[in-house]
Amino acid sequence: MKKDLNINVHHLTRVEGHGNIVVNMKEGKLEKAQLEIVEAPRYFESMLKGRSFHEAAIITSRICGICSLGHQITSLKATEDALGLEVSEQTVLLRKLLINGATIQSNVLHAYFLAAPDFLGVGSVFPLVSSHPDVVVRALRMKRLANDIGDIVSGRAVHPITPVPGGFTKIPSVSELTEIKRRLEEEALPDVMATVETMIALAGAIPKFNRETEYISLRNENEYAFYDGQICSSDTGLVSDTEYRKMTNEFVVSHSTSKHAKVNRSSYMVGALARWNNNFDKYADGVRDAAAKLGLTGVNTNPYMITIAQVVEVAHCVYDSIAIIDKLLTNGLKNEKPNQTPTKYGMGIGSTEVPRGILYHEYTYDRRGQILNANCIIPTGQNLGNIDDDMKKLVPEILDKSKEEITLHLEMLVRAYDPCISCSVHMLDVDFIE
Amino acid sequence: MNKSTSFFSVGNPLYGDDGVGKAVLDTLKALPEYKNATFFDAGTDALSLIDHFSKDGQNIIVDAAKMGKSPGSVVAISPKDAKLIIQWDHLSIHGFGLAETFQMAEKIGSLPKKVIIIGIEPEEIKIDKGLSETVVNAIPKAINLIKREVNINGS
Repeated sequence: MKKDLNINVHHLTRVEGHGNIVVNMKEGKLEKAQLEIVEAPRYFESMLKGRSFHEAAIITSRICGICSLGHQITSLKATEDALGLEVSEQTVLLRKLLINGATIQSNVLHAYFLAAPDFLGVGSVFPLVSSHPDVVVRALRMKRLANDIGDIVSGRAVHPITPVPGGFTKIPSVSELTEIKRRLEEEALPDVMATVETMIALAGAIPKFNRETEYISLRNENEYAFYDGQICSSDTGLVSDTEYRKMTNEFVVSHSTSKHAKVNRSSYMVGALARWNNNFDKYADGVRDAAAKLGLTGVNTNPYMITIAQVVEVAHCVYDSIAIIDKLLTNGLKNEKPNQTPTKYGMGIGSTEVPRGILYHEYTYDRRGQILNANCIIPTGQNLGNIDDDMKKLVPEILDKSKEEITLHLEMLVRAYDPCISCSVHMLDVDFIE
Repeated sequence: MNKSTSFFSVGNPLYGDDGVGKAVLDTLKALPEYKNATFFDAGTDALSLIDHFSKDGQNIIVDAAKMGKSPGSVVAISPKDAKLIIQWDHLSIHGFGLAETFQMAEKIGSLPKKVIIIGIEPEEIKIDKGLSETVVNAIPKAINLIKREVNINGS
């Protein structure tokens, strides 16, 4: 058994904004095991000050390419809460459809591009393209359908334009929704089944590691909560999202430019596995059956199973999207105008389950409809303390492995959470071949 | 004319000169000669380009690029003649950018034959800043270079 261990995974890229894994053990005593985030703080809250209620969702949708829809919907909900704007059932259904699309896209990319290469031991997705091209093409086909849902419902797949405070500026046509439904049934359902089979085949490579923690997610008694619900802690139960500050308690740590969070323990988990643990009773039987085949049958304390919980969510989102489109078509599409007449001014909160966990936006508006203060708490910040605590338990348990294997286990752990880092700027870096 | 030309931008307008791609695309959209072209701003999701490339047409991608040149320099980059540095650290799917997208597209056979990147060297990538004056002044240069590329390589 090792007495000394020094792991320092610094990714020597030319851009700022990465996570470094640092582990230090001396004479059998673990001195350090943590994920260091070295990205420059983003200060989106200060950018929102003075902006009108029409602009907030547009600006926040640019925070992140993968999470753009989540920020947009959460921002709209915060604005509507602050200004007293009621939205119609049709608006809520269309937003839920958008969230399903964004969840499918993000979870598919995570499972296939980050987790599957680990389970197959090929290092990254690029060798996977050569060894298993059909699998990667399937992932891209599912991503494309998810993008197309975004395109027809929100005007564009990335950084949507038609969802605005109070509703939509344009709604999809009957034929567009019917076509998406056909593709969900004929393309996505077989792809989901194939994905489940692929993951069953790979599940043996998921590390056996368990650490019980506090699981926090939204919960809604009427459905599997993505769009709204109360905040649910596996330790202390339900509270309203107006209590979100007590359910995050952000604090600064020296090794990360992103704040950490804690509630009843030193850390907590948000995201797909937390949602599963708090809400698996809300899944349809067919989805729960798929989960059981993948090894998820009840509360699960293995963070590497986040990927599996995400695959289960993809199945749910496909079935749920078909049901939403059926409901929209049965109700009949109405060409509604967005309700943009404020009935009050002041503070409002939006909370939504986005792929990596609960996202909170809080805005305070003045009487001109301009933002006085904003607060955004993203899922990755909430998960960082939990990742550190996982590492502290994991490292002593795998000391009999080689340093390379320990490093791989730690990287896989971070990848399981798929932290939102270095996403805001993707500048191309070019070397010219002389 | 130029019905088969597709223009793309990548980058985040919230971050100063990283938004130059979108600014160039907005200028191109207003030009009558490109009224039949297609436009797609991938924003911070470069991977979505794979779904929108024109297989047989001309594809022009505009992006801020660190090329080691003076700010405001505009260069037409053929992916064959330049090394696009992979920056992805494999820890998060969020780091998947244009270089990674090209590699993926090439491996699955989705990289179109005619594709050019118009790289613009940024001056400042800073949150909540508009484009720098240097980069604003480079937009007409970029437009001229794009017109030349479309004439040379377009169908």
